[in-house]
Amino acid sequence: MDSLTKHDPYADALPPIEKYQAMYNEAKSIRGISLWQDAWRRLRRDWVSMTALSFLVLLALAAIFTPLFPLQSPREQDLANRLALPPEFHSTTKRANADGEKETVPVSLKLKHLEGEEFDRRVSELWTDPTGFDKLLLNTRLLIFGDYCLPSLCGTDLLGRDLLSRLFYGARVSLIVGLVATLVSLIIGVSYGAIAGYSGGMVDDFMMRVVDIMYSVPFIFLVLFLITILSEDDVKQWLESYGISRIVILYIVIGAVYWLTMARVVRGQIISLKNEQFVDAARTVGASGLRIVFLHLVPNVMSIVIVYLTLTIPAVMLFEAFLSFLGLGVEAPAVSWGVLAEEGLKVITPVKIYWWLVVFPALALASTLYSLNFLGDGLRDALDPRMKNR
Amino acid sequence: MIYFLAKRLMWLVITLWVVFTISFFLMWTVSPEGALLSERQLPEAIKRNLEEYYDLDKPLLTRYFKTMGNYLMFNPGPSMKLIDKSVFEIVSEGLPISISLGLLGLSFAMLIGFSTGIISALRRQSLIDVSFRMIATLGIAIPNFVLAGFAIIIFVFGLNLFPAAGWGRPINLVLPSLCLSAPFAAYISRLTRTGMLEVLGQDYIRTAYAKGLMPTTVVLKHAFRGAILPVVSFLGPATAGILTGSLVLERIFFIPGLGSHFIEAVQQKDHPVSLAVVMIYTFLLFSMNTLVDLSYGLIDPRVKLDK
Amino acid sequence: MKWSIRGLFPYVFPLIFVVALFFALRMGSLPPADFTFSNGTEPQTIDPAKSTGAPEGRIINAIFEGLYRNMPDPDDPNNMIPMPAMAKSHDVSDDLKTYTFHMRDGAKWTNGEPVTAYDWDFSWMRFLHPESGTQYGYQLWYIKNAKRYTTGDIHEGDRVEVELADRKDRAQMFPRGTMVSGILKKVNTYPEGAAKSDDAGHGGHGEGESTYKIYTVDCVPEKDGKPDWDGKTTERVFYQSGTPQVYLDKHPGAEEAMHVLLHFSEVGIKAPDEKTLVIELESPTPYFLELASFYPMHAINRTCVETFGYPDWTKPENIVTCGPYQIQERRIRDRIRLKKNPTYWGADDVKLETIDALAVQSNTTQLNMFMSGQMEWATDIPNPVLDDLKEMDKEKKKEPGRENESDDLLIAPMLSTYFYRVNTNRPPLDNPKVRQALNLAINKQEIVDFVTRGGQIPAGSLVPPGITGYEGPPTESYDPERARALLKEALGGKKMRPIQILYNTSEGHKSIAEVIQQQWKQNLHIDVQLRNVEWGVYLTTVREMDYDVARAGWIGDYPDPNTFLDMFVTGGENNETGWSNKKYDGLIESARSEADPEKRFAMLREAEEILVDEMPILPIYFYVSINMVRPYVKNFYPNLQDLHPLHILEIDEEQREKIREWEGLE
Repeated sequence: MDSLTKHDPYADALPPIEKYQAMYNEAKSIRGISLWQDAWRRLRRDWVSMTALSFLVLLALAAIFTPLFPLQSPREQDLANRLALPPEFHSTTKRANADGEKETVPVSLKLKHLEGEEFDRRVSELWTDPTGFDKLLLNTRLLIFGDYCLPSLCGTDLLGRDLLSRLFYGARVSLIVGLVATLVSLIIGVSYGAIAGYSGGMVDDFMMRVVDIMYSVPFIFLVLFLITILSEDDVKQWLESYGISRIVILYIVIGAVYWLTMARVVRGQIISLKNEQFVDAARTVGASGLRIVFLHLVPNVMSIVIVYLTLTIPAVMLFEAFLSFLGLGVEAPAVSWGVLAEEGLKVITPVKIYWWLVVFPALALASTLYSLNFLGDGLRDALDPRMKNR
Repeated sequence: MIYFLAKRLMWLVITLWVVFTISFFLMWTVSPEGALLSERQLPEAIKRNLEEYYDLDKPLLTRYFKTMGNYLMFNPGPSMKLIDKSVFEIVSEGLPISISLGLLGLSFAMLIGFSTGIISALRRQSLIDVSFRMIATLGIAIPNFVLAGFAIIIFVFGLNLFPAAGWGRPINLVLPSLCLSAPFAAYISRLTRTGMLEVLGQDYIRTAYAKGLMPTTVVLKHAFRGAILPVVSFLGPATAGILTGSLVLERIFFIPGLGSHFIEAVQQKDHPVSLAVVMIYTFLLFSMNTLVDLSYGLIDPRVKLDK
Repeated sequence: MKWSIRGLFPYVFPLIFVVALFFALRMGSLPPADFTFSNGTEPQTIDPAKSTGAPEGRIINAIFEGLYRNMPDPDDPNNMIPMPAMAKSHDVSDDLKTYTFHMRDGAKWTNGEPVTAYDWDFSWMRFLHPESGTQYGYQLWYIKNAKRYTTGDIHEGDRVEVELADRKDRAQMFPRGTMVSGILKKVNTYPEGAAKSDDAGHGGHGEGESTYKIYTVDCVPEKDGKPDWDGKTTERVFYQSGTPQVYLDKHPGAEEAMHVLLHFSEVGIKAPDEKTLVIELESPTPYFLELASFYPMHAINRTCVETFGYPDWTKPENIVTCGPYQIQERRIRDRIRLKKNPTYWGADDVKLETIDALAVQSNTTQLNMFMSGQMEWATDIPNPVLDDLKEMDKEKKKEPGRENESDDLLIAPMLSTYFYRVNTNRPPLDNPKVRQALNLAINKQEIVDFVTRGGQIPAGSLVPPGITGYEGPPTESYDPERARALLKEALGGKKMRPIQILYNTSEGHKSIAEVIQQQWKQNLHIDVQLRNVEWGVYLTTVREMDYDVARAGWIGDYPDPNTFLDMFVTGGENNETGWSNKKYDGLIESARSEADPEKRFAMLREAEEILVDEMPILPIYFYVSINMVRPYVKNFYPNLQDLHPLHILEIDEEQREKIREWEGLE
């Protein structure tokens, strides 16, 4: 408004400035409900979605702050004393005492009386070189809980490692793979779809033909192929010299598979939006094509993109599990839920079922995917324009 | 219609060629030796003869054109790992098995999906509806291989109903195809439910009821046919999913299908076999997508096949 | 029209179902076999000369037969000894270098031809021929001049054979092209000045750099189908296929040849008549009979190979065999169905009519199939359930009527070692003390007790126990204190760099590597990374010595320490550690020609002592063979080599019924 008053040469020919000021104030006083606020209002009333959402938020927080919890080490094996134990509420191990006799002690980190180099060594034994952020959390945890560890509420695995702790650390990997890979698919899909939709004509035709072709490419097979190849040593080393590790490849490759539908959806939306007035307005003031697409159009398709996103994450996480099943997932010592479920599945035999090894990872995976699915459904309903103001 | 098919055929050829080219160069540049790695160091003379047998001594580009020529004649050459067999033999033994497993899975998925979907829609918000929906979501949320593991424990060792693994007898088919169908049954059930709910509220259904038709007739003849559309469009992506799913289940249930061959071939760098399988899957997927588009036009008169 | 298609649409689905069912059942199910076992991975081939692994071995041993055959010793069935098979007896010369085999009378191929000594002459020629791609080729290199024949190592003055490039089908080795014999006069190597290699067969030196050879041969005429070495010679010039034109221009009139090799009559394999096979060895080889029973050395039928060519002759409908079984059907990655061969010389003693060899890879699936009664013999059992299986065996004996039933789970020591190779070229691993320290810091007892769980024996050294008359040197056991001290001494207090354990993808190897990773970390404070690669990549990586520590296993080909120890001679093809010790080489070499078994073992023991001292490898444990066999299968004996001839197995029908009833199997 200010700029208008200052530079308008025809100011005299217009009604007095006060009138504009009044109109402006009036406009300001109306608090329009944006689509987002409206959707949020509706979502809040849907208890299923809200439960799912809260679960996911808690899960994400738990994954981020995992080192803060008094968990056992996800790495340390105790073959002699804690091999494949079912869930228990009181965890003990045997340790030789000063007299050389074995005595039963509760499981602990054995960090308390260590200092300096020995302390660092023990930390890296327990957590495989934690990053700076994790170290901070770990130190806080040590301050609060000391050597205390939660008992193995989910049992221990076949090398005597605590499953609960492995599940928590696995959540980090699984969620990150799910999120980042989806983000990759989002970036590719949205830009591709938006550009195709906005350009129209030949470009659109061609770009969508490419998508059609790609629908017929058995990506799963190419991905398997690609990952086997990229896991090959010289390729891996070459990539690592650029700072790309295997897990990054995993994100990119999985993301690159799941962008097709996203691109189609976004294109459809952009086409219906691109002749709207606000686009014309932007064009009139001389905004470039790219600017219009990414600053004006894309934000307007975000609602549908977000719905689609909540449905892509489960697909990606399942895909990660599938890769783990084939032994192509993340590599030890990192774990993911898929890897854990696969390890558990391997020991399902008629002779003995280490049920906790497969039930807990499956439960973790299923409840997360469940929540994502419900949240997706809820969001779709909430963001449905036909439901507005209801 | 003819024009549509001709155009699709052209795109099929292009797709196949693109996939072929990319896969070929990818596999041979990254691991140029293929499966020609052995436990013992081979004397040079032997190694050279083996390389000659697989054309490895020729430049990549020559091999590319030669392989392409071979493919045009449906003769993809010998396998590098199962050295007694040609790629053609391997593929033609595995393909019928995978296809029948896939189709069985698909049939189960439709059977379960449609019936639960319809029931859910008719008994909306009832206990049945809610529990069906919960189970359906479970089918989407649990990885196939975990499901198969549980199924083996329950049905094979708990109830002693099915054999643990194998292929050939009718009873062998049940467990793998059920496990394969689970996620798709879940999706189809959801889609059918939504579709039915939309259709059931429409005027012509009300008219049908008003005419005094039997409720089953109305539901199955009038409503269901309208609700089937979204499901048909889902069948295209479902094919891709079923191919992947069968990869896992063939492994667990010891089924000698194409998926098992592919996994082995990829891991053992048996490039001729993996290339052939990728080509076949591309072909299958493309035909399936075309078929879906085609049938879409057939059951919904509003859709025109002009594109 | 349109409405009719729409109307038909719902009926498409049942149609799909019917079609699928039809397809699925079209495969047809074979009637159940008398005996079913899991054969591990899909056999790569059933051509003996090209085979490489145990799964192939089981099939080949069933359908072919060697001169001798490893069979349970009648006095001690848990001991395998070579017994006469296609040869009814043999004589050994006094210098132990000539073996004369006398062939069995009346043995026939399935096409009706008699099995003769000529079959071995042909098959072993094929086995040694460079074009065959035989991976076990070195196993026959104990025979005089065999290695020179395979590697094409020929010099001026040698008798040579030339195969002209006039084969009917170039890709088929048989029937062969015209054979010309002669005496090698001159070899020209191109490009000129290229490395003068002693063995002319080495075509490629490094990548893309090939050398080509042009041979001038004084050819001799043939008399009665045999070369007449005293006949009039004609000079002819030959080049090997693929030689570029530039080099050919220098030799106008050169003829194309498939191969120029040492004349096969120079190799110590002779068949003077159809009943006699004379083998001349390079040096005394006490385990030659075991080698002659080894499955890659089984003879194949020449007529069959020449008629159908490779690989068509291996098809079930074409193949001609002579063993106790024939191949009835072969489904890829499913099963090989064997049926009894009625023309086998010992057919009367073969009890099982049909056998199924399933290509099941997953050990969980194997166990599932075994437990649900789908197979009688499982060859690979998941480690975590071994204890429970032992418990089950104990439990079942408490049931009335089953007290004397044998165990399902059969565990026996095996002639095989699990160890880690150490790359002795990379500092600080080049220091024996560091390697000693690494060895001492591995708690092997814990690994066998809690990871492998099959009663494996912790290994201090390379040669497994159980070889009659041989006892290995004393070894040290787990001692973290001493390990730390040794490491400190070796590094002078410096921190050890992180090292990497390389292993091929497998659950078992992964667990062991993870345990050792932790043990080294705890005991020696070394950071250890794990690197897991596919089998093929693993082999190349180890061969190129691009590793710090690499997992390895070695199965003895015959019960003799030499099969383990000769691996680590300087430059040995399976050494792959870069380790080299003159004294060790000398001991292995002199043991090779030593005729007195006691002295020989003493030399080998001394060599092993050096190995233990220098530790180019870290022995982990000695394998055991773990098999699950239903007690109603008779004549199944656990043994050192884990060999179980199929044709002596028998099924006790009465017991079978009882057990299936007890186990609740239909």
